[in-house]
This record gives sequence, structure tokens and C-alpha cells, in this order.
Amino acid sequence: MNAHGKSGLMWLAVSLMIVLALVLSACAPAATPAPSQPTQAPAQPTPAPEAKVFATWYQFDQENTDPASDEAVGNAWLRENMAKFNEAFAGKYKWVNTPKAWDKMDAELIAAVQAGGEVPDIIQITDFKIPMHAKNGSLQDLRAWAEAQPWYAGMDPQALKTCTGPDGGLYCIPFAEIPYVVFVWADLFPNDYPKTIDQFLTEAERLKGEGRYIMTYFGSTDKGGSGATRGVWTVISSFGGTYDDGKGNMLLNTPENIAAIEFLRTLTVKGYVPEVTFAGGFQEEEAFKDSSAASIPTALFGYRYLRPLTAPDGTKYETMTEQDMLKAIEDGKVVLRPFAAPEGKKPSGGLSARGVGIPKGAKNREAAEAFINWVLTHSDIAADYALRGESGLPVLFAAYDQPQFQGKLHQQAKAVVQASALRSWRGSLERTAEAQMIIMNAVYKLVKEDVTADIPTVLKQAEDEYNAGK
Amino acid sequence: MIKGLTIRRKQSRTDQSLPILLLLPALIVLLVVQFFPAFYTIWLSLQERFPTGWQFVGLDNYRLLVNTSLFKESIGHTIVFLVGYIVLTLSLGFVLASILNTRLRLSGFYLALLFIPWTLADILVGMVFRLLVYPDYGILSGILGNPALFPPKGLSVLTAARPAPLFGSFPFPPAPAMVYLILASSWRALPFITLLLLASLQTISQEIIESARIDGANTWGIARHITIPLIFPTLVVALFNLILTGVNSVGMVFSLTAGGPGTATFVMSYLLYNLGWERLRFGQAAALAVMMALVNWALIGGTMRVTRVDERTA
Repeated sequence: MNAHGKSGLMWLAVSLMIVLALVLSACAPAATPAPSQPTQAPAQPTPAPEAKVFATWYQFDQENTDPASDEAVGNAWLRENMAKFNEAFAGKYKWVNTPKAWDKMDAELIAAVQAGGEVPDIIQITDFKIPMHAKNGSLQDLRAWAEAQPWYAGMDPQALKTCTGPDGGLYCIPFAEIPYVVFVWADLFPNDYPKTIDQFLTEAERLKGEGRYIMTYFGSTDKGGSGATRGVWTVISSFGGTYDDGKGNMLLNTPENIAAIEFLRTLTVKGYVPEVTFAGGFQEEEAFKDSSAASIPTALFGYRYLRPLTAPDGTKYETMTEQDMLKAIEDGKVVLRPFAAPEGKKPSGGLSARGVGIPKGAKNREAAEAFINWVLTHSDIAADYALRGESGLPVLFAAYDQPQFQGKLHQQAKAVVQASALRSWRGSLERTAEAQMIIMNAVYKLVKEDVTADIPTVLKQAEDEYNAGK
Repeated sequence: MIKGLTIRRKQSRTDQSLPILLLLPALIVLLVVQFFPAFYTIWLSLQERFPTGWQFVGLDNYRLLVNTSLFKESIGHTIVFLVGYIVLTLSLGFVLASILNTRLRLSGFYLALLFIPWTLADILVGMVFRLLVYPDYGILSGILGNPALFPPKGLSVLTAARPAPLFGSFPFPPAPAMVYLILASSWRALPFITLLLLASLQTISQEIIESARIDGANTWGIARHITIPLIFPTLVVALFNLILTGVNSVGMVFSLTAGGPGTATFVMSYLLYNLGWERLRFGQAAALAVMMALVNWALIGGTMRVTRVDERTA
């Protein structure tokens, strides 16, 4: 080899090594700058230590100030409370939030924990995701710490139970309870909303004669089968049905469930619910908004999303904010009611807890604990969190009687809770995401796709499929 | 003499290692972005997550997956979707390319218009197509819901039940939602396929076509015996593209039907998304990803073998 070729090869090798070194250094964590050599004693006063970042993941976006945004209430709550928190902990913590999609947040966290990626110090959590997080080891068990806090004894034990994982660990701190209620156009029910199933069917026929539907609900298999946790669960639980046997197995093929499915099937076959009920994408809400459907069973937080509204008498509520529903309730156009139930049974529906969890690998657990304490030791902040942060009822007893909860919406919601036997749909099921999908596929098949299919057979197949998995 | 031999030996070693050194950057990139994820997926398909961490479970994920009703169903739906999507897109693409190849006036303008769907994200196309047919509220729902046009009760694309299957449990004829999904997917893929075929058609000498016409060949005869054989390699490339996008794309299903109504459009790619990001069964999702990769290879390999495109293009 001549000298020219040899030096060329050497240059190539050196260049490659430089490129490789650059790539590797880019992958390495940022180096802490080396402390500068002391020269002389500083003349200026020592600057205040920089506040440590307190990172959160919420479905809300503090930067979004659009009042017509779907999450306008939560966005405003977050924005205001971030400012309050940063002021209360000035120089110590700085709250930084990353907005996340409500239905992808948990998956993102689990993936991040498993991959050793960046995780927040606090994540917004819904109780039925707890078994999934417990299985994936993505949240910290807060039981020992929580039990030592002054607010613990003042919390609703039922809500704390829903935050408990299959192993007994406390994986979230609940801030709000979300009851599932029925939003009703009051004028369409001169004798009030039906209390029994027979009354319901009679009213359904009457309304059909008037060119309306008695109800719309989330009847599609969209959103990973979450319909099974909404209106479908309201009906099934009101019939006394259940999704589990209390021992972690799915149990669908029961007389109560079969009766509930027969009822839902009747609603479809007789045209008592609109076709859009089964379209997915939350389009079923449209039928309630224009009052072509007289009622909609959904979560209390539905008041944020059911807008704009047109009452049966033509009154319009069109601010495109949550004020539409609040005003309609204030005017008595919309009322909240429990669902109907068979004679001798108490109406039911879903009850879920929402709060926060601390992910494994959180960099600033100290700030996360300070945040939880900050919320739960101030009944006004706790009340505001439940009201605007989650649009539910407070879990902290001290916050329950705050003035925010004395309006018609919450008074009626409390009445529904008292008149019903609301309960979480998940029971003892652990693979909740899989369960809701299997259940909703079976329900959809029986109620919409094949209304002649044998109900016990399809329900048995569905429970067998879940129970065969692990 | 000895010194000369040593230099020659060194030079020969350098000659051997130079190509490797030159390929090294590309190899490193390939290792990082292709081989690592591929091997990680295979590893993941043999694991299950427990609170304590990953645990080797052998082929359990494959067994559990194969035993679910949705897996079996999704295979049938994928076949129906793939056949419909490929046949429709290829034939329409060929017809459009042939029309544009006849030197129409304003053909540049038509081409620009035609290209619009390709520039849109599939998830967006799905959303728009979905909005068009929402029951009672979609722009087209009034027309489709007309019983005179679609007896006896009109057609609700997003909620209509699938017809009774003709062949056991194989989902044929497909649900209206599946047909609509095929139409929307083809609409989006059409520009690319049309342009690909048009470029190929423009390489065919007009003299050959003219000679065939003088010899008495009609349009179909010319297409069958001259045009198609000459653009065959391009057709196969288009076919590969359609197979890969048809099997793997999830955006359109996600935003247009979300696998519904019921499970009528639950194709394998959507099942993969569902397992991974809705059920968080990463092990089973990885098992399905491995299976889908095998399906892709089998389809591409089978197509190459049947068409012998490698020999024709050699």
C-alpha cells in the first residue's frame, strides 16, 4: 500500500471513531457541568436555590384557554392550581405539566416505566386502571405513607378501597368519586323519569309515538369496549347483574344479566334507542343534545361534554361551554335521576374513583407527597379538585359541604347516589382492559348485531374466553 | 523482496477490510433501527410482565393469542380487506393511469388533483369518511338511509350488521363498514399507485402500440398482450406496496371504524394495536407482530414466486 492509501484509511478510521463517539455521547445523559475552580470569595449574596421540577401528566392542557375546548373546565382548574401551588412552594418546587390523551396515558406510563424512560412524579389515575398498573409494576405502593398522613382518616373508605390493587397495595390517592347518573330532559317525562322497567317500556312506547327515543347510550364497541363501563353497566347493575364472581373470574351468564340484555335488546328491536347509539366516537351524545333522545345514562362529568343543548321546547343553550348544561339544570330543563330498576331492586350504575398515583422511577416523590398533602389538607382546594379537576364528588369528607357542592347539579347527583346502589363495574376482575372489551363485544353482538342469538350461550363463551386467559 | 511481500500482504488485508469499514456506519444504523427492534420483538413475544418484571413464558403468548376468538376472526377480516383493497386499487389505478396516458388536455391539473388524497394522513382520511356516514347526523346518512335506495330500511354504514357468511365462519360477504373501509383505503392509496403505473406506461413506445393497432389489435388485446406485460415489474412493485400497507396499516381502521361495528372490521393490524395499547398485553402484541411479519414475508415471497418478477427484471 502506498503512503497515500495508508493515510486515507487512517483518516477514514479516525472519522468513523469520531462519528461513533459523537453518537455515543449523544445517547449518554447530559453531563453535570464541572464546578468551576474557586477564585475569590463571591461578593454578591448567594442566589436562592433553583426550584426542583414537579412533573405531572394530566389529560388537561394548562396552555389551552379556549372556553369551547372539550376539557375547558379541567384546563382552567389546572392552570389556576399550578399557579397556586407554585406560589405556595415558591423556590422549592416548580410544577410542570405534560398534557396527555386520557385513553393513552396509562399505556404510555407503563411503557415508560418498563423502558426506563422519563416518568412524571404524579399521574392522573382512574381506579379501574389500578389492577393493570399493579400487574405491570408501574406505580408505587403508597399505603404506608398515606396511612401516616393526617387526612387519611377523613377520606371515604370506599374510594380508598377502589385505589387498592389485588395485592393490597394502595396505588392511588383518590380525590373524587364519579357517580354514574342519568341526564334527563324533564319536560319529556310529565310523571317524572320511570322508576321501574315496566314504566320505562311504557314511556318508551309513548315517546316513540311522539317521534323521540327514550334513551341513548354508549352502545358501540369503540374505545376498547369502554361502553361496558358506562350505560350498559348502569342497566346490568340495575337489574342486579355483575361481571365477576368475586374471585377474579368473569361471570356473565346469570339470570340478572340475561334479563338486562333482553331489556337492552328490546330497546333496539322496538326502536326505542336511536341508531347513533351504536356508532361510537361519543356520537350517541348528539341524540341527547338535540333532545331527540329523552335521557342518557353517563358519568356525572358528562355535564362538561353534553353541549350545545336544545331542549324539547326549542330553548337553546349554545355557549359551547359546560355552562350550557349547568344552565339547563338550573332552569329545570335537565334533571339528574337514577336509572329504572325491576320491581324490588334498587337502581344502580357505576361509581369510580379518580385521583393520582406516583409512578415508579418518579424523580421527585417528595414534591408528589407535598402536592397530595397540599390538596388534602385544604378542604377548599380538595373541593375545587373534585369539582373542576375531576367533575365528581369529593372523597374528603371535609370538602363535601363546601359551597361549590350546593348547586342543583351536585345536590341532584347526591340524591342519585343516595337513591341508588352504585358500585364499580370491575369487582374482582384484574385484567380490566381485556374484560371490558370481551364484555362489550358480547353485549353488542346480542343487542345489535344478532338479536336472535342465544343470550346464555354468547355470555358463556365470553366469560370462558376471559377465564381461559391469564 | 521480503519488504515488498509484506507491503503487498498489508495492502491485500486493507483491500479486504476497506469495504467493511465503509459499510460500518450503515450497518450500525441498521443494527440500531432495524435489527434491535426486530430481535426485541421476538424476545418480548416470549415474555410476560409481572409486578416483579419480565418473565420467560415460552410460547404461552402465541398459544393464548391463537385461542382467542378475535384472532381467528381478524385473519378472515384481513384477507377480505386485503383482497378488496388490492383488487380495487390496482384496477382503478390502471384505468386512471391509462386515461391520463392518453395525453388528455389539463392532464397535469388532473394529476395534481389526484395527488391530494396521498398527501393526507390516513387517520385524517378515516375521520372525514366517518363523519360523512354517522347515522342520522352524517352528510351522506340521509341518502344512505333512504329505504328506496337501500331497501328495506336504508343503510347505516357504521352500524349495519354483517350479512350471514356464505362459507362457514369466513366473513364473506363483508359488512358494509368493511366495504366502506376498503373504499376509503383505496381512495387514499390510489394516487400513488396511479402515478407509479403512469410513469411505467409512459416508458412504452407509442410505435409498438401503433403497430399493434395496424395489425388489428383492439384496446383489450393491446392492454393484455402489450401494456400489462411491459409494465408487469411495476405492477408487482405496486402489489408489494399494497400488500404491506394493507396488512400493516392501522390508522384508517382506528379512525374510521375502530374495528366495529362489533368486530366486523377487526383486522390483524388493529388487533395488534388493541393488544398493545388498549389491553397492554405487550407479550401477546409482540407475538402477533412476529406472526404478521411472517405473513408479510410469505405474501411477498409468494408473489415473487408466482410472478417470477426477479427473473423478468434480471
